[in-house]
Amino acid sequence: MRNDKKLIIGFLTPCILTLFIMYLYPVARTLVMSFFRIESVTAATSTWSFYGLGNYAKIFHSPSFKSAMWNMVRIWLVGGILTLSLALIFAMILTSGIRFKKFFRAAIYMPNIISAVALATMWIQYVFNQDYGMLNQMIRFFGGTGVKWLGTDLKFWAMLFSFIFGAVGYYMLIFISGIEKIPADIYEAATIDGASKVQQAMKITMPLLKGVTKTNITFWSIHTTTFFLWSMMFSPVDTEAATIVPVVYLYNTVFGSKGNSQRDAGAGAAVGVVLALIIVAIYFVMNRLFKDDDVEY
Amino acid sequence: MNRKRLVVTVVLLMAAACFAFAAGSSETTTKKAEGVYSGVTLNFWSMWNSNEPQGQVVAAAAKAFEEKTGAKINIEWKGRDINKIIATALEAGENIDVFEEDYRRIGNVYKNYVYDLTDMAKAANYDAQSYACFNEEITKWAGFLAAITEQPQVGGIFYNKEIFKNAGITIPTTWDEFLAVNQKLVDKGYEPMALDSAYADFFFGYHLDRRIGQAVTTELVKNGGWSKNAGAVAAAQDIIDYRKAGYLAAGAPDEFPSSQNKIGLTGKVAMIVCANYVCSEVNNTTGANIDWGMFNYPTIAAPAGSGSTNAYAGANSLAITKYSKNPQAAFDFLMLLTSGEYDQKMANAASQIPADPRNVAPAIMNGTIETLQATSSPLSWSMGLNANPDIKANVKTNIIALFEGKFATGADFAKAMDALYK
Repeated sequence: MRNDKKLIIGFLTPCILTLFIMYLYPVARTLVMSFFRIESVTAATSTWSFYGLGNYAKIFHSPSFKSAMWNMVRIWLVGGILTLSLALIFAMILTSGIRFKKFFRAAIYMPNIISAVALATMWIQYVFNQDYGMLNQMIRFFGGTGVKWLGTDLKFWAMLFSFIFGAVGYYMLIFISGIEKIPADIYEAATIDGASKVQQAMKITMPLLKGVTKTNITFWSIHTTTFFLWSMMFSPVDTEAATIVPVVYLYNTVFGSKGNSQRDAGAGAAVGVVLALIIVAIYFVMNRLFKDDDVEY
Repeated sequence: MNRKRLVVTVVLLMAAACFAFAAGSSETTTKKAEGVYSGVTLNFWSMWNSNEPQGQVVAAAAKAFEEKTGAKINIEWKGRDINKIIATALEAGENIDVFEEDYRRIGNVYKNYVYDLTDMAKAANYDAQSYACFNEEITKWAGFLAAITEQPQVGGIFYNKEIFKNAGITIPTTWDEFLAVNQKLVDKGYEPMALDSAYADFFFGYHLDRRIGQAVTTELVKNGGWSKNAGAVAAAQDIIDYRKAGYLAAGAPDEFPSSQNKIGLTGKVAMIVCANYVCSEVNNTTGANIDWGMFNYPTIAAPAGSGSTNAYAGANSLAITKYSKNPQAAFDFLMLLTSGEYDQKMANAASQIPADPRNVAPAIMNGTIETLQATSSPLSWSMGLNANPDIKANVKTNIIALFEGKFATGADFAKAMDALYK
């Protein structure tokens, strides 16, 4: 048994080393960088100049960063409510014993395995196109006038709606796995006692899904803060306030953008730290709100 | 005990094998050629991909250089993302001799890492085979000649020659003449101007330059004061009036590339304010064979305007690293690639402007060489509107809203811009 210790250390060391080098060290370094004025991400530490909270002040005074944060809040709140509710409803329907369950499950999950670039291109160039797009053709068929889906006022919602369409499947699968863990005899007992399907959903399924819901909300928060590709696709060539999100702001700040060669790695690091803190805060709040140890089965 | 030792040994061997393969395989080059640079190896980081027309010409030029001089050129096809990784590579002293990048970044961001080409260029009489505007700009930024132009770009108004001929249009030079041209096109049943929202700031930036000049635009963007600047308010009002007169194509500002594609798809849209690559882009995407021409963005004479006749000009250029062991060999290769035969091949293959003005521009790029040679102070992309990274995204959205007709007057637009500085 004693020799096992050497084996355990032998097998764990590469993993721990990788964790430190690839993950903890960059995180710690980013945290430190956010307090310095630095131009290039890979600049030597001798070129760093201490800036205190200057980077944080800079980004919170920046109208583009504020637009980015506001967009992210709307994606998290509105998008979150829509995506998770749809995912839960689909999950409940698919676990209630309907036919062709496997087909529907695959169909709803399909957008997740298609590249986001391909999905976004389809939405922008086909569905939302003003002249021959799917939505405007449907509207004209019923006698209305086409809507400018990708104009400045609707672009954010067009982007959010396309994103939700592709995201529902992922959360639905997690909900399905949570529901399938609930023993069937509880539902049988409830049916015998005369509870309707809706009552069963509200009084049995929802409380017992607390843990899974907490997981989903945490995953959703992570996906929201790292929202990037869709924003870049809906604003080609250069960034717009209608679609900007914090990671895009970070990307433009650290690497420069079209016609602007200024780079500020310190400010980028500050953005990264702010996003990480938001996730941590959400996680702790969720842990408080969703105490999942008061029900068991 | 023995089994455990065996397991540990196997695991260690596997780990060692992984590291050996991760280190990469080394190339064994045994090509021995006689030539001026035999034994010299040049490492070239290209911004193209190997299957793009530009990439294929670069590869062919490299092969020709190898045969002529006995040097060996290793090309790494980094693609457009080179601009994300080259800064780090240069700082780390990575083994690179030549790289391709936007000349603005070479002159501003990488200037401490690139070789001073002034003497080599003088010896090769580079001035006779290049555009003065790019050489002067980069010397202004870096303090010395830091790059060799490979892919010049020029901006202006690109138009469908056939529509202009059918409508009997003469090329306008002033804004008033231009408005008259737009009206004539509308009267003949054409749609004058395509516009995609992605290029809204490019269009408006040009117009601001004609009203107040790029330098003043940059100042306004950095510090505000739009409402107090009569020229800026007038520029916004010009756009509002332009839109009200019905000179924008149906649906404009549209989502890229829908509006520019209409030039090819409907054959009814006459012009677009863009850079020269739009010509081949539209022809290739829509399959139409538009006969393109270009003219400089119309000017507005003082005192109402700045009188500026500058054009947007940009370039993707080649730079040699400061620590390169073979700068002269690298420079000779750059001369081969950007002049004479191979530059003409590049221009023809990719339908772009030749880097060597003595070459002939492909038909689709009619008029571009002359415009570049006449440019002394090239404008930057979006003419200063991108100068403030803190408000960039909001500026762009305001400009798109201006073209959408969301502001009643130029003063309203100026007020919305000033609100960004509170």
